[in-house]
Amino acid sequence: MRRPDAAVEAPSVADVPYRAFTPERRDPTTTARRLKLFAHYSVMVVCAAALVGPFLWMVLASLKTDADIRTLPPSVVPNPITGENYSRVVDAFPFWRFARNSLVVSVVSTVLQLVTATTAAYAFARIEFKGRGVVFGFYLATMMIPLQVIIVPLFIEMRNLHLVDSFAGLILPTIVSSFGTFLMRQAFSALPRELDEAAFIDGAGHFRVFARVLLPLVGPALATFAVFAFMSTWNSFIWPLVITQASDHHVTLPAGLSRLNGRFSTDWNVVMAGSVMTIIPILAFYLVTQRWVIRSVAFTGLKS
Amino acid sequence: MVGVRGWRKAAVVVAFLGPSLICLLAFSIGPMVGTLWTSLQEWNLIRPSRFIGLGNYRELWHDEDFRRALRNTVYYLVGYLPLVTVGGLGLALLVNQKVRGVALFRALYFLPVVTSWVVVSLLWKWLLNPNSGVVNWLLAKVGIEGIGWWTSREWAMPSVIIASAWKDVGFVMVILLAGLQSIPESLYEAALLDGAGPWQKLRRVTIPLLTPSLFFVAVISLINGFQVFDQVWVMTEGGPAGSSTVVVEQIVKNTFTYGRAGYASAQSVVLFVIILAVTAFQLRLQKRWVFYASS
Amino acid sequence: MHTRTRAIAALASTLMTGGAVGASAASASAEDVSISYFTFSAAPDHLEDLDAIVEAFEAENLTITIEVQTAAYDDYFTSLQTQIAGGSAPDTFELNYENFVTYARSGALLDIGEYVADPDRYYALALEGFSDDRVQYGLPMTFSDVVLIYNKDLFDAAGLDYPTADWTWEDEQAAAEALTDAETGVFGDFQPISFFEFYKALQQAGGTFFDEDGQAMFNSAEGLAAAEWLTSKPGTVMPTLADIGGTPDFDTSLFQSGQLAMWHNGIWQFTGLNESGVNYDIVVEPGSVQSANAVFMNGAVVSEATDHPAEAAAWISFLAGSETTVDTRLASSWELPAVNDDAAFASYLEITPPENRQAVFDALDNIALPPVIERQQEMQDAVTQALESIVADGTDPQEALDNAVDEVNGLI
Repeated sequence: MRRPDAAVEAPSVADVPYRAFTPERRDPTTTARRLKLFAHYSVMVVCAAALVGPFLWMVLASLKTDADIRTLPPSVVPNPITGENYSRVVDAFPFWRFARNSLVVSVVSTVLQLVTATTAAYAFARIEFKGRGVVFGFYLATMMIPLQVIIVPLFIEMRNLHLVDSFAGLILPTIVSSFGTFLMRQAFSALPRELDEAAFIDGAGHFRVFARVLLPLVGPALATFAVFAFMSTWNSFIWPLVITQASDHHVTLPAGLSRLNGRFSTDWNVVMAGSVMTIIPILAFYLVTQRWVIRSVAFTGLKS
Repeated sequence: MVGVRGWRKAAVVVAFLGPSLICLLAFSIGPMVGTLWTSLQEWNLIRPSRFIGLGNYRELWHDEDFRRALRNTVYYLVGYLPLVTVGGLGLALLVNQKVRGVALFRALYFLPVVTSWVVVSLLWKWLLNPNSGVVNWLLAKVGIEGIGWWTSREWAMPSVIIASAWKDVGFVMVILLAGLQSIPESLYEAALLDGAGPWQKLRRVTIPLLTPSLFFVAVISLINGFQVFDQVWVMTEGGPAGSSTVVVEQIVKNTFTYGRAGYASAQSVVLFVIILAVTAFQLRLQKRWVFYASS
Repeated sequence: MHTRTRAIAALASTLMTGGAVGASAASASAEDVSISYFTFSAAPDHLEDLDAIVEAFEAENLTITIEVQTAAYDDYFTSLQTQIAGGSAPDTFELNYENFVTYARSGALLDIGEYVADPDRYYALALEGFSDDRVQYGLPMTFSDVVLIYNKDLFDAAGLDYPTADWTWEDEQAAAEALTDAETGVFGDFQPISFFEFYKALQQAGGTFFDEDGQAMFNSAEGLAAAEWLTSKPGTVMPTLADIGGTPDFDTSLFQSGQLAMWHNGIWQFTGLNESGVNYDIVVEPGSVQSANAVFMNGAVVSEATDHPAEAAAWISFLAGSETTVDTRLASSWELPAVNDDAAFASYLEITPPENRQAVFDALDNIALPPVIERQQEMQDAVTQALESIVADGTDPQEALDNAVDEVNGLI
């Protein structure tokens, strides 16, 4: 393991508060430390306030009545507060069926994406083979054409495969994530080769090195990828709209929610209620994976 | 000569890469080839297509709207990339501490990423309202007046840039956070023993070991940035009067609104070539500045 | 639900004829045909109304099942075009007048002339609107028109007379200026800056969009007058883009909260206005040299690629012209059926507000139909952008119109 260059300074009194502020050696009794903590929290709270605005606005809008959402200038606080928009969303279309479809598609797709991305990334990061760069280039290249352009040829292909209006038609085009493959490749590349070599010497084959040695060490990247995979599949709109148009059997939630948009005017309070309901599963998934990451990072100790 | 080891390695490569590559060829590369074929046709989607060779490309060469869209897209990237990278790095460093409640803050910073562009654009149009918005009110306090933001030609694109950077900063934060969490503690301890302060730790330990993640962010942001669409469609609709049009907006309009799928395919091919060239350049540069612990 | 209706109907007919139940059931399942229908006007508010029409049709036609597919208008054409491109077009679908020509000339629609049993059932202009080159490709389902909607309370408070059908642009301008009050945030007038208002204003000024040879000529003196009429409003009697602030449906909110005196919009707004309780009425839009009113139509068409042309045509005939449809639409204010049936509309005229519902039909005396070419959307965008640049950039109106004319002529 290469040691990065470190500036060599003679330790001095001035260094003491900084050194002591490292997370694992905090002494909470000093005022300076408390001030630092306070400053830290203040910055975090200011950033949170700056970033949480639209979500709050969304929730407030979803609690407004039809008359309230139309008042000008727009009011911030709903008056009166009503929860009826949420039931209106559920009644407007087969909400639970669409939500179930979304869940099935997102979960299956995320799992398959994790499998294909990690295995392919291992090949790109750890196995030297001819044409590796070119093949990796293909992966990157597939991210360079906008989805809207692809859907017509892809739809024609699905039609020929008789997969229109089916779960397979919804899931198959999403299985390979170039984004995820690239992310995992970077994660694997950051791990030292000595780990592989030690395992090979012990008689392990590639699969064991992949599954037992390297994979456990890329927890944070894996969790990050899982969140993005879930989020993008859950929110994806244009492909599910087109592939499931023929009936209401496989329609997913975003396509269902789009039906709330009127041609000349829309009930925005209802649309916002739908949006809030859509965000909840993603946030829940994100929180769960974050807790898993924190725990797994502590467990592996990040010690090489 | 391919011996037993050669075949075995080939088998391993096929096992690891096979399923992924097959799906890629079937569901990504295949349709891309279809797009290339369509770019040589005239097609409104609802009648059979007509082969016109390079006619679309010839028209594209003289298309002033497309050139403007390309300029706007580059303008977007130049503004957006630094903002979102620095912001994301700042947030990641901020939340990579074991202080109480940090998980909550991580979730809050991620909220804009999961919120739809419809909602985010409403908020930013309100904030950036030239007459009654908070931003112009603050600017007036320091003596800056007259910025029309999304209602004016000059400031429409910057409005989109600011809103996009704000929305995506959580996305970059999550990726860089994963990178930060993979940096072994032992390195920080070693730096500490050498007497490094926090600024030195950042420069000598954190940043170098974060370069694989930073490289990832740079490549992905560039590829995605060239294809910016949703925010322009929702916030400005390419206006006012076409001043904030971007490439994918032209492509989508041509495909589904104007019934010129062949022409739009030609535009996609040109965009693809540009992104490919830029990314290839970035990949070559990576030897200069990206530090992989495994090498 | 549909199966139960069919079963009951089958049972009832069996009892009445005394025939064998087994025989009826067998024939019902042997030739079952399923017809798909894709529509943008049902969601979100009228899904039940459409279900009622479907049920009535299926009760009369036991071997046909209708599969309804819906999408929001903004997403509809993306999905429809992809389906057609992929070879899985719906059997029947909805089209609006402006987009109809493109589909007809691209060979995507079936000639249904032989299936139209009673052409006089439909309003003549509407029926013609869904034919191309004398071939009948679709049936008109609904029409709606644009009127001047005004706030009676604001007029009363200012002591002004209500608008009448004889008003001209000058009268409207004078009233708008008198009613605009920057301090209270009340605006006098709202007319969107778009292609759809322009071709109508052009006709009101006495001009025409295309000349006899089909070349664009809207940069005439009349065109200039129309452009200036439309673009003079924002910032004086009408909110500017910044005032609107990106709030969606701003004009609807403005009128419903009683802060807009006059509003150029369509009759589809009535339901929302009635719910909001604002005190309003309508009148035929003021003209200039002459009166001209925008009329919009939606129709149902049959796909060229359908396997069941007769059944599909039977469905759209029922959908467009049956008594059930007319009653259902009028009862729930789901657009106006395009039928030649004054008696049916009597019930519509009795619903108030607005008092002056007769204006909806008076407007049909002077119709301004949208100019239509095959590259329709590009033409619409060219005109709208020309008008927007006059407002946003201060481009000289004559220059903007000249450029737009050149662009449109390049599209033909």
